[in-house]
Amino acid sequence: MNPNLETFKYDNRIVRAFAIATVIWGLVGFSAGLLIACQLFWPELNLNLQFTTFGRLRPLHTNAVIFAFVGNGMFMGIYYSLQRLCKARMFSDTLSWVNFWGWQAIIVSAAVTLPLGLTSSKEYAELEWPIDIAIAVIWVVFAINLFGTIFKRREKHLYVAVWFYIATAITVAMLHIVNSLAVPAGWFKSYSLYAGVQDALVQWWYAHNAVAFFLTTSYLGLMYYFLPKAAERPVFSYRLSIIHFWALIFIYIWAGPHHLLYTALPDWAQSLGMAFSIMLIAPSWGGMLNGLLTLRGAWNKVREEPMLKFMVVALTAYGMATLEGPLLSIKSVNALSHYTDWTIAHVHTGALGWNGFLTFSVLYWLFPRLYNTKLYSVKLANWHFWLGLLGMMFYVIPMYWSGITQGLMWKQFTSEGFMQYPNFLETVLQLIPMYKLRAIGGTFYILGACLMAYNLYKTAKAGVFVPEVEVQAPALKTEVAAHDGNDPWHHRWIESKPLVMTGFALIAVLIGGLVEFIPMWIIKENVPTIAAVKPYTPLEVLGRDIYIREGCVGCHSQMIRPFRSETERYGEYSKAGEFVFDHPFLWGSKRTGPDLHRIGGKYPDAWHYNHMDEPQLTSPGSIMPRYPWLLTQKLETNSLPARIGALRKIGVPYPGGFEATAQTNLQAQAAKIVENLKQGAITNAPPDREIIALIAYLQRLGTDIKATNAPPVKTAAN
Amino acid sequence: MIKNVLSDIGGIGLYGVISICLFFAVFTGALFLSLRMKQSVADHINSLPLEDGEPVQKGVSHE
Repeated sequence: MNPNLETFKYDNRIVRAFAIATVIWGLVGFSAGLLIACQLFWPELNLNLQFTTFGRLRPLHTNAVIFAFVGNGMFMGIYYSLQRLCKARMFSDTLSWVNFWGWQAIIVSAAVTLPLGLTSSKEYAELEWPIDIAIAVIWVVFAINLFGTIFKRREKHLYVAVWFYIATAITVAMLHIVNSLAVPAGWFKSYSLYAGVQDALVQWWYAHNAVAFFLTTSYLGLMYYFLPKAAERPVFSYRLSIIHFWALIFIYIWAGPHHLLYTALPDWAQSLGMAFSIMLIAPSWGGMLNGLLTLRGAWNKVREEPMLKFMVVALTAYGMATLEGPLLSIKSVNALSHYTDWTIAHVHTGALGWNGFLTFSVLYWLFPRLYNTKLYSVKLANWHFWLGLLGMMFYVIPMYWSGITQGLMWKQFTSEGFMQYPNFLETVLQLIPMYKLRAIGGTFYILGACLMAYNLYKTAKAGVFVPEVEVQAPALKTEVAAHDGNDPWHHRWIESKPLVMTGFALIAVLIGGLVEFIPMWIIKENVPTIAAVKPYTPLEVLGRDIYIREGCVGCHSQMIRPFRSETERYGEYSKAGEFVFDHPFLWGSKRTGPDLHRIGGKYPDAWHYNHMDEPQLTSPGSIMPRYPWLLTQKLETNSLPARIGALRKIGVPYPGGFEATAQTNLQAQAAKIVENLKQGAITNAPPDREIIALIAYLQRLGTDIKATNAPPVKTAAN
Repeated sequence: MIKNVLSDIGGIGLYGVISICLFFAVFTGALFLSLRMKQSVADHINSLPLEDGEPVQKGVSHE
């Protein structure tokens, strides 16, 4: 008997808690998605409530799926596999439970605040600053628990899954903190530290890498652990996994600007984003192939084991999404695809296929082991598989169709050179059948997930929960016995040194971000200034905050690309210098409705008033919900000084003492709008309602450069 | 393509070249390290997910 043998216990309680949470939040997140999907062909489904509009629920859906469903799934897999790969119990049970309950509290606070309209509007980072701080704290708790477990491990070498967990922990912390930097203007309102182009670059660096390091690297770690477990054979190539890991984390971080192609972002940053996105195909496919080839000689198991079926589809979806992503990053393809439902199809290949199916796969494998029994029904699991797969097909195929249709219709000119579809609504109405089909797909997917929940519940009832598993393993020797263990030219050396591994991973993910950020921050030429662009008036500031609260950015972009099809439809293309006071930027990523950057002055004030009250009055067939509460709710102006003060702190040049005159300024502008409304036969509009502020903001949009006859662009150089 | 990328980086000279060189350095570095790894070592690390530690009591083990 080995005298160094130590006896210890793996903690299954925390794994079970996260497993149950991922099932519950998954159903919530999917259902929220189905609800908003239905609202796109049935706008009244918000039941005329301001808390349930598409604009407010879309971030609830995305946050629920990313941070609640995948987040809990990730913790479930990490807490199970890390203990076993390190041959050690988690560093601290207390930290494990702080991680669990803290994360659930964050999810609940998101579920409350987002429908209330408390949002920063930055995609997948919508939560306001107190919740952002809570996320940072809980993430640090998770990281301490992760590294603590790694440091007390009994297995010298860190398996590839653990490298991915380390990369996830450090990079998500970095992304979250940098992107969430903001100045508060009250308990539930803040303004991004960055403005316009810089805010866009930071945001999409964050959002793209949230996909990379929250949804991808963590799940690749799970794949590297659970796939060999289920297949009962080691991963195809350990060497390939080394290249996969380093190349993936190094390249991914550069690719964020591909979300901003043809925008006002400097061209060099766009080109870097595109080039590195194309390079990403190599490591991504390396990882997919490493997973699929692990099953060589074991494909018969795929027929019998539901877990492997889900895993194979997850890997295939990963491969498809990571091929499509780089192709969508090619500027000429992106010219067609950007702002369309094509992007929605793309992300759902990843979310439903990769994250969804991989989570289901791990759950089917884990529950029988946690309860020391067999899966209740393989037949039900197979039903889930086919319903899920069919649901996915019904989701993504109509969305591809819809996206390409949208893109082509927006760009279509007649032989005489006029726009074929000058009314944006024509292009929307074409898509309604696709939206209905998509909802059918979502329904199938949810039905499948319900079957899984029932199956797992019955499995748990049939077995006896194993809260702890007692095992033995030799203690880790302090001296290095391995013949090549001290040679820094061996990857094995890096693997046995968690701090070195963390340091290298941090350097790898820092480089790409810094290369893109530093020139943006220090070289003025990147954001040419425009003398005519002035800060928003107090009424416009409040109007802009209502625009943010209602989530208008979820359907309307504010970024006209320099294409004839866009300048014909919307007006002059958007310039970087027009956004220097936009904290946060509101360029958007999707045009379910038209771009609004040049909406200012396009219609009379009364048109906006009527449109917000009943969109179908001004735009027959519109799928925008009604916003009648804007006409009745009183504009909250008490926080105006705090808002102006916060904006001044981050560089908006309001003169000192502006707060004192802000109210008068606001009332004067509101009175003017009320006068304008009277000309449009709206004689009963009080000046202190929210609609007045929103109209002020909308009428300001994109008008600054129209105010001057001088050449609009003045660069720092001239 | 590289020419296009570089010509568009006005005023910051070698940034693009350095970035792409860094990428190739990381990629070839990872390749170099992985190829130097002995098969026996790779096999050992590869088998880690399949070894959870020796169960003390049979019947409560998952495996």
